[in-house]
Amino acid sequence: MSQENQQSRPQGQGRPQGRPADTGSPRISRVDASVASPVKFFFASALLWLLVSSVLAVITAVKLHLPSFLNSCEYLTFGRLDAIQRNVFFYGWASNALIGLNLWLLASLGRFEFRNGWIATLGGLIWNLALTVGIATVLIDSQNAFELLELPRGVALAFFVAFLLAALWPAVAFVRRPTGQVFVSQWYILGASFVLPVVYLLTQLMVLWCPTNGVLQALVHSWFLQNFLLLWLGASALAAVYYFLPKELETTLTGYYLSTVGFWTLFLFAGWTGPATLLGSPVPLWIQSTGVVAAVLLFIPLTITSINFFGTLSRDSGWSRAWNNTTLRFVVFGLVAYTLALALQILFSARSLNAIIRFTSFAAGQQQLLTYAFVSMVIFGAAYYILPRLTGAFWPSAKLVHLHFWSCALAVVGSVAGSLFFGWTQGAALAAAKPFAQTMHPQEALLSSACAVLFLIGHVAFALNALGMLTTCSSSTDEARQA
Amino acid sequence: MNNLNLILAGVFSTVAASFGGLLLAGHAQLGALGRAPAEEGGPLFPALEPGLAIQGRQVYLQLGCVACHTQQVRPAGQGSDIAQGWGVRPSVARDYVLQSQVALGNRRVGPDLANYGARAKSDAEIAAHLSAPAAGSAMPAFPTLFNQGKDGSLQPNERGTALIAYLKSLRQDYSSPEAKLKQ
Repeated sequence: MSQENQQSRPQGQGRPQGRPADTGSPRISRVDASVASPVKFFFASALLWLLVSSVLAVITAVKLHLPSFLNSCEYLTFGRLDAIQRNVFFYGWASNALIGLNLWLLASLGRFEFRNGWIATLGGLIWNLALTVGIATVLIDSQNAFELLELPRGVALAFFVAFLLAALWPAVAFVRRPTGQVFVSQWYILGASFVLPVVYLLTQLMVLWCPTNGVLQALVHSWFLQNFLLLWLGASALAAVYYFLPKELETTLTGYYLSTVGFWTLFLFAGWTGPATLLGSPVPLWIQSTGVVAAVLLFIPLTITSINFFGTLSRDSGWSRAWNNTTLRFVVFGLVAYTLALALQILFSARSLNAIIRFTSFAAGQQQLLTYAFVSMVIFGAAYYILPRLTGAFWPSAKLVHLHFWSCALAVVGSVAGSLFFGWTQGAALAAAKPFAQTMHPQEALLSSACAVLFLIGHVAFALNALGMLTTCSSSTDEARQA
Repeated sequence: MNNLNLILAGVFSTVAASFGGLLLAGHAQLGALGRAPAEEGGPLFPALEPGLAIQGRQVYLQLGCVACHTQQVRPAGQGSDIAQGWGVRPSVARDYVLQSQVALGNRRVGPDLANYGARAKSDAEIAAHLSAPAAGSAMPAFPTLFNQGKDGSLQPNERGTALIAYLKSLRQDYSSPEAKLKQ
């Protein structure tokens, strides 16, 4: 990507993307200034939701080994808080941050100066209001029985409108870009921004507005969930990786020509993998088998992204340079997690293995590997790069950056490893026909509580740093920026 | 690849392919599935749900029970659900045709409930479990589903009664054309 970018950029238009420009404001480029207010809005909301989600995660983790904790009031039941925590994390944190990140990436890559950025901000406002209303409904009224569709159907409509307002810009930015070049990141963002609203709307229609017959709802839901995880969260985060990795290493991508194939195969196969999460469920066998085949075919995009990214990192002491760069440290952590997550998904779509781990915490561990260790870590890395360019300020404290990385990295490694290990041992015990009650490990809940506290510490460190910068915009030391 | 229309058309085709191939095809196969007798002339299954059970399903959804309980029994060979005593036969699509919103679930912190009504002995037993789960259980008590009686004992209130009726209605212990019970 960078190579094409460098070579084919018309003379006079070139400046390193995202860096302060030579003209205009001394610190903030014109492109960055034009997207600054919506992107800052999305990042700030994401940050607030992240804190809410972290506090809720601590409560739900404690409830799993102390069921009587905060149990006097029905609104604080595990079932309600668990659903709220999940929705806050996915719609509040991850989606807000990715909408902001996608806007910034497209504006930067396409050298597109926003006019009417307020439309995107308005979309963000509606998005966050709808989420708040939805959470309140789950808290005091009812919820739907499907993961990430728990919010009432009216909220979904508001989400849809908000997303069109906020993320229609990718298409506009793309069409009106002054440079003729298209980069891999742009394909991924366009694809993700197209898939989410379409899939979300169809799913809402088929599950909540005009419910399909019986188990078909579960089938539609599995289709939605895989699209949401891989083609909205996953593809958006991959876009950021395709941008930051070659850019910060100041090098070219290994096997760049393969990335087209990687893009199309991911979009082609990921949508079919839903039924692979329904093995053994009362849906037709041919549908389950189709899902398994699709999951195995994910091996192709996985191989290509591995060649692209790990090939690049293996050259010119890329690994150590990445480690010493704040953004890349997070991004490369995410990259390793993405590779592991997809490899596990392929491996555990095999019927015999899936029979053991299905319904245990193993699946939760797999999901966390993808959505936290990959997507969230990439967002953090991107935020460390983008926010200084939007605010013209430096990160106030290098120590908080370190605290953030180490607590989140340790927490996610501990949490995912715990879920995978205890999930597997529980599944193996169940397969050996041990009674269910004897297969639960109390250590698992203790470990996840400890990790939830560690997550909270890391997120507070990040929030202090980021809010400090967003509100004061005052500069500190260069050391902090380089961190 | 720098043509917006081409990219969008391509992505649209990939979404349309999985939508058509999985969901529309699935709908063509199962969309019209209804109740049926196991043998000609026999009673139709699944049985209609009592009104109280339908109200109880709302309580089940409200409280987010689906976070920890599934309602699906996998066939023998694909997990040990039947060996665990959670069902006498695997769940089939026809078992769910009357449910306005299926709660199959995807995580088991507690046991599967697809056939819970067949193994629960009495209303009192279910009520006791909801008001004071056994020690060591990860399930919280649900005091808001109960009122204190005059003698100090806990009596299920309106929502509690509905939830108990719903849990009792969860049965997959009948023969259906796709899954006959062994005699």
